[in-house]
This record gives sequence, C-alpha cells and structure tokens, in this order.
Amino acid sequence: MATAKKGPKKTSSNAKTPSSEKPAAAPRKSSAPEDSAARVNVAGFSDSIQLGSESSALFAKAAGVAVICLGVSVALGASDGDGFRRWSHGYLAAFGVALAITAGSVFWVCLQNLVNARWSVVVRRVGEVFAANMPLLAVLALPIIVPVVLGNPVVYEWADKAKVAGDEILAHKSGYLNPTFFLVRMVFYFGFWSILARYYLNHSRRQDETGGSEIAPSMTRVSGPAMIVFGLAITFCSIDLFMAVDPRWFSTMFGVYFFASCVLGVHITLILALMWLQGRGRLAKSVTTEHYHDLGKMLFAFVIFWAYIGFSQFMLIWYANLPEETAWFKQRFAGGWGTVSWTLVFGHFVIPFFGLLSRYIKRNKTLLGFWCFWMLAMVYVDMFWLVLPAVDVEPNLRAMDVLALLGLLSALVAGAAREAGKKNLIPTKDPRLEQSLAFENI
Amino acid sequence: MAAISDVNPFVNAPAGDSAFARITDNVSRIAEVERPPRAWYIAFACALAILSIFLGSIGWVVWNGIGVWGTTMPAAWAFPIVNFVFWIGIGHAGTLISAILFLFRQTWRTAINRFAEAMTIFAVMCAGVFPGIHIGRPWLPYYMLPIPNQMDMWPQFRSPLEWDIFAVSTYATISIVFWYMGMIPDFATFRDRATTFWRRLCYGVVAMGWRGSSRQWHRYERAYLILAALATPLVLSVHSVVSFDFATSQLPGWHTTIFPPYFVAGAIFGGFGMVVMLAVPARQFFGLKRIIQIKHLEVMNKVLIATSLLVGYSYMMEFFVAWYSGNKYEAFTFVNRAFGQYAWSYWTMIACNVLFPQLHWFKAVRTNPVATLIIGMFINVGMWFERFVIICTSLTRDFLPSSWGYFIPTKIDFMTLGGSFGLFFTLFLLFCRYLPMVAMAEVKAFHPSAHAHEPDHHVEHAGQAPVGI
Amino acid sequence: MSDSHEPQASDSGPPPLHGLLAEYRTPAELLRASKKVRDAGFSRWDTFSPFPVHGIDKAMGIKMTILPWIVLGAGLTGLATAILLQWWTNAYDYPWLVSGKPLWSIPANVPIMFELTVLFGGVTTFIAMLVLNNLPFPSHPLDHVRRFARATDDRFFLLIEAADPKFDETDTRALIDATHPIAVEGVPEDRKTSDKLPTGIIYSLVIVTVMSAVPFALAAKARYTKSRSTRVHIIQDMDSQPKYKAQRENPVFSDGRSTRLPDPETVAVGELREDDHFWRGQDHGAWVRTFPPTFRVDEAAMLRGQQRFGIYCTPCHGFGGEGNGMVAKRADELAQGTWTPPSNLTDERIRNMPVGEIFNTITNGVRNMPAYGPQIPASDRWAIILYLRALERGHAGKIADLEPAERTGL
Repeated sequence: MATAKKGPKKTSSNAKTPSSEKPAAAPRKSSAPEDSAARVNVAGFSDSIQLGSESSALFAKAAGVAVICLGVSVALGASDGDGFRRWSHGYLAAFGVALAITAGSVFWVCLQNLVNARWSVVVRRVGEVFAANMPLLAVLALPIIVPVVLGNPVVYEWADKAKVAGDEILAHKSGYLNPTFFLVRMVFYFGFWSILARYYLNHSRRQDETGGSEIAPSMTRVSGPAMIVFGLAITFCSIDLFMAVDPRWFSTMFGVYFFASCVLGVHITLILALMWLQGRGRLAKSVTTEHYHDLGKMLFAFVIFWAYIGFSQFMLIWYANLPEETAWFKQRFAGGWGTVSWTLVFGHFVIPFFGLLSRYIKRNKTLLGFWCFWMLAMVYVDMFWLVLPAVDVEPNLRAMDVLALLGLLSALVAGAAREAGKKNLIPTKDPRLEQSLAFENI
Repeated sequence: MAAISDVNPFVNAPAGDSAFARITDNVSRIAEVERPPRAWYIAFACALAILSIFLGSIGWVVWNGIGVWGTTMPAAWAFPIVNFVFWIGIGHAGTLISAILFLFRQTWRTAINRFAEAMTIFAVMCAGVFPGIHIGRPWLPYYMLPIPNQMDMWPQFRSPLEWDIFAVSTYATISIVFWYMGMIPDFATFRDRATTFWRRLCYGVVAMGWRGSSRQWHRYERAYLILAALATPLVLSVHSVVSFDFATSQLPGWHTTIFPPYFVAGAIFGGFGMVVMLAVPARQFFGLKRIIQIKHLEVMNKVLIATSLLVGYSYMMEFFVAWYSGNKYEAFTFVNRAFGQYAWSYWTMIACNVLFPQLHWFKAVRTNPVATLIIGMFINVGMWFERFVIICTSLTRDFLPSSWGYFIPTKIDFMTLGGSFGLFFTLFLLFCRYLPMVAMAEVKAFHPSAHAHEPDHHVEHAGQAPVGI
Repeated sequence: MSDSHEPQASDSGPPPLHGLLAEYRTPAELLRASKKVRDAGFSRWDTFSPFPVHGIDKAMGIKMTILPWIVLGAGLTGLATAILLQWWTNAYDYPWLVSGKPLWSIPANVPIMFELTVLFGGVTTFIAMLVLNNLPFPSHPLDHVRRFARATDDRFFLLIEAADPKFDETDTRALIDATHPIAVEGVPEDRKTSDKLPTGIIYSLVIVTVMSAVPFALAAKARYTKSRSTRVHIIQDMDSQPKYKAQRENPVFSDGRSTRLPDPETVAVGELREDDHFWRGQDHGAWVRTFPPTFRVDEAAMLRGQQRFGIYCTPCHGFGGEGNGMVAKRADELAQGTWTPPSNLTDERIRNMPVGEIFNTITNGVRNMPAYGPQIPASDRWAIILYLRALERGHAGKIADLEPAERTGL
C-alpha cells in the first residue's frame, strides 16, 4: 500500500511498478528495433542519440590540442633545468583534476547502478564513457609513477633510498612508502578502475543490443562489492599521490577530502558534456531541464560537502595545534599561499554556494554552465594548493602548469569522444529509461 | 498472540470506498480505539517502571553529587557522555529519513518517517538529560547560555562544548518543528473523524484550522522542502559538533580529522538500527503490516550494510594513520584498544558494528523481521560500545603513565543508562497511542491512485516523486 | 468548530451564500475542474484535498510563494547574529584568552554561525508558512458542511466563493455541473460562530502574558540591585561549608582574624635562618661579594642555576640575560608606556654589583620585578647567581680568553 516504486534510489524489487507503465513500454521498444540504433523512440518522441561523425572530428581536435599542450609543457619544464622537479609538481596538480573527473565517473556509474537510480538513466552512458578513460589515465600517470620506481625523488622524497635511511620518520613509513609497493598499488588502483569502468560500459552496451532483462540486476549486484573496493582504492590512491607529497603530514580525512573533488568533477563533466551534446542536436529531447536541475543539485550539495570536509580537517588541526600537523597548514596560510587558501574558501565555497542556491540558476543552462567552469577552475586551484607548496615558497602559476591541465583535459575529451562515437549515447534498452525520460522535479 | 489480535481492530479494517479511506482508517484507528491492545499496556507498565528507576537514580545523583557514579579521574567523561553521544546518535535517523531521503526522492520513507521523527525527538530528550546531570549542578545550566548573568560574564564560544549546546538545542528545535509541521494535516484528519468533544477540541487546536486548501498545500510543501534542505546539513552538523568535543583535543585516539564524518555515519547506522528495532514490533502489534512492509525493512537493512561499512572504513583509517603518522602515542592507543585492558569492549564493538550487519548481504536475512530485530539490537549494543571505547580507552591511557587508570561503573551508572530507555519508551508508547503514527497525507500522496493521469502532459505525472529544491 | 450544529435560519432570514462547494472522487477530476475554473477567470476560489495533488498549482494558476526569500533573509539574520554575538561577548565585552586562540577566532565561531543560520531559517520557515497560510484559522463556514469532513480523508473539493466578482449562482453552478462532480452544495455563511474570542480565553491570555513577565522582571531586578542575603541554592553543598576562610572575619579570636600569625618569640623548626650571608646576602649590613661558605660551587650547581634561570628569569631577561625575553618584547610591542624594561644583566652595573645585592633583588624584587623569594629556595637563588656570573663572563669574554684550538673553530 505504501509506495516504494518511484524513487531513483529504490533498491528493492521492481515487482510493483505501476501497471500502466510496464506493458505500455515493452511493445514500443520491440516495435522499432532498427530505429532504436540511431534514435530513441519511447513515449511518442524520437531523439538523436548517436554522435556519428562529430566523434572523429572532436577526437582529432582534442587529441591534437592534448599533444601540443603536453609537448609544450614538457619543453617548458625541461628548460627549467631542475630535472623536471617543478614541472612534475605542476603536472601532478593537473593530474589531480583528471583523476577527480575519471575516478569520479567510475564512482558515479557504480553508484547509479548500486541504488538502481531511475532519473539518471539518460545521462548514465555519458558517465560510463568518461569512466572508460581510466586506461588512458593510467598511461598519463606514468610521468608520476616512473620516477618513483626509478628511485628519483623528483616529487616524492621517500623515493630516494639514501634519504629514507637517514630520516627516522621516512624510515618508519618505508614499509608503506617505498617504490615497489607504490608501483603495486598504482597497478591495482588503475587496473581495478579500468576493469570496472569497462565492465559497466560493455554490459550497458550489450543491454542496448540484446535487451537482456538480467543485465541491469547483474550490474547492480556487482556494484555493492565494487563500491567497497572503490572506496579503499580512492582513499589510498589520494594518500599515495597527494598526501605523500609531504610525507611528514597526515590526516585521516584526506581520502574523503579528495573524494569530494571526485564527485564535483563528475558532475561538472556530465553537465558540460551534455550541454555540448545538446548544442550539436544530440539527446536534445531526452535530457531535459529536470536532469540538469538534478545534476546541479548534486553539484551544489558537494560544494557544501567539500566545505564541510575541508573545514573540519582544517579546524581540527588548527584547534589542536600539534606541530607535526599544523606545519602543513602553516605553509598554506603564509604569504601568497594564504591568498590561495582564502581564494578556496570563497571561490570554492561561499561564492558558488550563493551562486547555485537558487532553483532558477540550476534550471538555466547558461548560468549552470558558467558555474561548472567556475568549479572546474576551483577544483584545479584546490589541487594546486595541495601539491605546489611543496616546491614553491610563493604561489606561482606558470604556463607549463596551465598547459599540462589543458593537455590532460583535452586528452580526456579525446578519449571520451572516441569511445562515445562507437555506440549509442543512451542505454536504449534500460528498463528504467522511460521513467528517466519522464522524470520531473517540483 | 491470540489475545492481542482479539482486541486489535486493525487486522480486519473495513475496506473503505477508496485506497485513501483505507489508509486513513488504518492509521487513525490506532489512536481512536478506546482500549489499545493489551501488549501496549504491558509495554507501557514496563516502560513506566524503568522510567521510575531513571528518575530515582537521577534524584540520587543530584542529591549526593556525581560521585555516586564511577566517573572519576582519569575517566572524567565516562558513562554520562557515552550515553549522551549514544542517544544523540540514535536521534539522527529520524531527521535523516525525513529530510535526506526526502531530498533523494526515496518514497519508501513515508511508511516510517513519522515514527522515526518521533524517535529522534525522544532520543534527543534522553541525550539532553546526561550533560545536564553531569555538570553536577543541574540547577545552573543557564550558565551555558549567552544570557546576561549576575557575574557579568559570557560563555566561552571557542569551546566545542559550547558549540554542542547550540547544535543540540538547534537540532531539537528544528526536529520538533519538522515533526509538528508534518503532523498538522494528520491532526486535521483526526479532528474531522473525532466523535467526542474533547478529541475534537484537542486535535482541532493542534491542527490550527488546517482544511487542506491547495493554496495552503502549495506553501506547506515549499516550507517542508526548505525545512528538509535545512535539516540535512543540520543533521550532519550535530554529530560533527559532538565529534569536535573529542577531536579538537590533543588526546591520542580523540584527535583524528576523520571524526566528523565518522561520527555522522555511526549515528545514522545506530539510528537506523533503532528504527528497525522499533518498526518490527510496531508493525506486528499495531496492524501496520500493509504500510510498513517487508520491502521497507529490506531497504533499511541495506542502509545498515552501507553505514556499517562506512564505520568499518573509519576504524581502519584510524588504525592506518595511527601507524602512518609515526606518532608513538597514537600507535600505542590503537594497539591498546585492540589488545589492552578494554579489548573486550573493542571486539564487542567490531563484532556488533562491522561483522553482524554483514549478514544482511543475504536476502533471506534482510527480509526476515526477527533477524532484522536481532541485528538491530546488536547494532545498538555495538554503537554504545563504540562511544565507550573511544572515551574510556583514551582517557585511561593518556600521555602520563602515572595517571593511567581503569573505569569501573557503579550501580547508579547502570541505572541511569538503563533507565533512560524507560524515558524513551514511555514517550514512544504515548506517541503511538495518541498521535498519527504514520504520515497519512504523505502515504496517500505517493499512492498509485494519487497520480492523476493527464493526457495533455505526458511528462508531467509519470510516477516520479515530486521533490526538488 | 462543532459539526453537530447545522446553521439554522435566524429571524433575519436564511444566511447569505458563502460559496458553492463541489465534491470529486479523484485527483484527476479535481485537476480538470480546476483548469476550467481557472480559465473562467475566477479569483476567489480554492480546492481542498487530503494531500497535495501533483500538478494542482499549474491547474489553479498558483504563483510561486515568496517563502524561500523570507527564509533566506532569516538565515542571513541568524548568521549575522552569530557573528555579532561571538565577537561582542568573547572579543569585545569580556575579552578572555583561552588555549592560545585569538580573542576573535573565526574558525572556532563557524559551528555556531552555522547552527544559528539554520535555527533562524528553520523556525522562520514554519512561522512564515503559518502566517502566509493565514493559520491558525479556527472557524470557517465549511466546518458546518458535513460532507466536507472528508476533505482530510479521501475526497476532493472545489469551492467558489460568492464574494468573487464573477460569481453568479446559476452560471457558476452550471460551470461546476459541467465538471461532473459527485455533488454540489451551497455553503451558507456561518452566523452561529462568533468572530470574537471568548472572554475567558482573552482573560487567560492576559494573565499568562503578565505572569510570564514575572521571571524576567525578577531577573532584571536582581541584576540592578544589591542584596546581603545569599543566593538561593537547592543543595547547599559547596557554597556553605562549616569553616572560616582566609582573610575573612572570625569571631572566635579577639583580633577577628581567620588567618593566624605565629606566636611572638617562637620559630618553627628549620626556619631560624641565622646565617645572614646565606639567607640575606649580607655581612653586618653590607652586601657580600662572595658566595656563602655553605653553598658548594661546582658543576652541578652551575647546571642547576642554568635550569632555574631558564625557568624563572628568561621570560623577562631572555636566555642571554640581555633583558630581551618574550615578556619584554611583547611589552615593547604593546608600547603602553607604563612598562619598566627589565635590566640587561650583562651590563657593567650588574657585573659590578655584589652578589649579596643580586640575591636580595631576586628575593624581594625591584621596580616591577616581583619577589621570587617565596618561589625559589635560597640555594637555587645562589645557583642562579652563579650561572648569571658565568653568563656575564661570557659576554665580557675576549678572543684571548679561548684556548688556541678553540679559536680556530670560530
């Protein structure tokens, strides 16, 4: 009698879907199998759901930009003559944004499957495509991983065996922070994420072809254990890549802090990607203001979540004032880094909080798009603030940093464009598709 | 149970001429029946007896001073604070169900949100008692409030304990407002069904003249949505602030940056444990099986798995960073927790919070009310021990070995702890007897026949819960 | 409020019509009817349902409420209140340093800023909802319509008020009939229920209001008057202890003191302190220039002196004794004008000062330096002087004082 059948997160049995919907949906889907390859025909409207030739054009452009940007960035880094020390830090910060977007996508896709979400079905494929960038990201991580394996302390001083031997704290941590174990972990993180992302994309696509009703529940079943492993992987990956830049500092919250950026990253990406697709006439009717509104709400919620985690981490360390912890924040509140910290407080929280508060803004594409670019910039500022104080006494944003960021983002766009061009942009045979198409906020 | 079903009028509730009438009837008759089921009387008598133990032990503490507890140096924060944090944690599930699940369009919440909200308020009341009596002079609590006093002094706003005052009282206020506002339409239903003058007067006064006007519903829904949006960060903040009480200190085992989200996850976990513990008997004895269904229990049990894993994640991170930090005090504290003098409480906590809830991975377990009830009880025990472990192991093993000790509770400690359940259940049973136990208006709004199918707006009414910010 | 009294025709004829009420069985019927009434251009009409009907806002043409803006304003007021409250109480009116935090500690103020924002916002949401909805609304003509009781159960109603400018009993009834309601009923105005509150309620409200002011009045009186009687305490445990406290009047002794002096002509064991040299640094009234014979000058004494100097002297005089300790630096920074800077212990004047006079200064204080005699045992005072002499020697040292091997290390 009570109603457990309409929420996006409902996880129990679907047996009691309103009777008016299920039989109505089934014949429509089976009536146009050919058509559904290129267009979706549900509930009496059709829509363009394939990228087609746009894909290769975008891939060529984005890949070109990526190669040029990364190439120039490396050249600039080499011209510093410091053995790529400064360049590596800038690259790591930019890599943080790329990782946030891609790992965030893996998380998001896993979550939508785990909770059996309905509203998000029309946008899920875009998330799956961005998640499938993971192998590409593993390749892009090589400039960070290889020096560690070679024992070069260009970013991580604990990679240097001589230094570790002479430092009590580093020696204590060497059971965890050592090149071999680091490599093993990195292979595990990126391997696991790549397999998981590929699993979702392949199964979701197979559903498009076969319409098998067992596929969606099997993806849900995988999501539970996958989410557990994901949680551990993102925690330790963020510790290894970012917290270990300063191997003396530690915070139990750090994994959660980075995770907040991941969730921001995926929602920014989804909104911007959908806007680009709709600008080219794809998914023009499937994705409505309602979906943007929901994505905007999640973006807003995680702007707050980031502030909550960031503030708690800062305040607890500031309050207890233990030297081994405060040193990290002391560095980040001294001189020009103080300005960057305050930029984060206002730019990453206060201003977008009021910017995204109104329902009107979340339902207005231009304004929402503006705030996505704003937040993307702020996620980068956050990563810059995490990594760069290790090498720069004063904040110094250089051309090679920006080029590395543009290069990595273009590489992600190129990877996604190539993958998106292969098949549909919507899981056309998902049993929840019609509810997603018809979804509405009040 | 034969005797109970004999007096239970709801099992054979007459089918009205519509689904809405059946919902109204099912819920209203619980409060309208002249004599509630005998089980209610038995439970109420037990609750009153336990409540009298509670009041007696509090009187004893106030009269003699808090020395009658085992609370003494080095464990200056022992049972009272453990109980406070425990009850505050229980109080999180209600607002979570009402607010967060509402924002996430989880319509299954309508079956349980009302009594979960009631549970929240009663749990916060139980929680509020403990710091009140632990201050030693419960007649001077106004010292903690920023009111001009005769000493011309002000509270110290840099203290986390002062933040607690604001967080808990704000939470209690907003929870009551949220709960009451949700009940207004249901009070109106009670008023309109009343057959006696006094019922009509009392429910009429609290319904405030609600007549279900659509113009009023419009503002009401908007207000409900805003309250949900405000209560969501509030519910996260309350246990975060409670965690600040510990985490701002420098004590090993307390000063950990993950405490705020860890406490919140634990609170949701414990609160949901209490909800399933209450939901199982409530649906049994009040004939609410058609409203609180097995599938609702199943969803809640899935939430329990998720929060159990989050709590387990926090335990693991604390251990990892205690080693990773290279701080020998931190490392000692965590080894001591697992293998020291309080190891028995630590492993109780791990078993109840991390291991038992994993049984819910099996569908047969999570759809079984009895198993649900038992695991819910284990979770509550485990969550109480979690606070005990945090507070007692760290306090009795601080930096100075000369001030190490062991906390031994007294009889009065156990009486105040056990007695607080009497307060909780007395209030809860009164609530079941006199107030709308299920949010009728909300259940109706999500009933299939509430969805008006309009041919001219195909997108408009496709069965999505109407929620958004 | 009672449904047992159907309105009756009074002497002045039947009561005028309040409006026309139509009853529907499903939300869909109500929605269709609402659209018709909306399109017909009525303004004073409403629909009633047991739950919010999805889509009724659009069907009735209800505009978005201003409630969110009111809440935003209230939330910002709460935020401002929290900031002002914490700044005014802790940083301005009653400045009090705690745990090394600044007087106005923004990070420590954030939790309460958040809580008050939510508190003000939440309570305002509720009150504004009531006010905008015109609640409480005790009596309404619809309360006397029997069938309307099901508006909170399972039926859907539509009411068009007679006060609407477009209302015409026949035409409007025809419009409603076209929407196929289950029933249509004319709602008469309510003449039985008085518009005024019963006098009993008014008097009770007045009395309650007056009574509730009493505690505040008493609190205000207590704050601005003086009283000799003790506070009312429920449990007189720690406030009234059966003992006389130091510096208080004591009727037991003739001199009225609680704190007793030792009897004249008596000395406690070990407190004779005859040795002027050791205890006062004097020899027949002149400051001694040597360490007392009972004080052993050795390495242990030097280390002890260094440690005690570090504890007691460095806050003002600094580790090198130059008079540049943290307290002195802070005082210079504040530049309040009342501060006498601590002496530079390595300068000529102190170097030539007899050790007895230095001992006396430590014991009894000088200028704004307090007496350390009560805190530092006499032997430690001598040890400090010993270390001070070493410090001074170091300051006056020349390169020639060093061994040749040490010189090269400079």
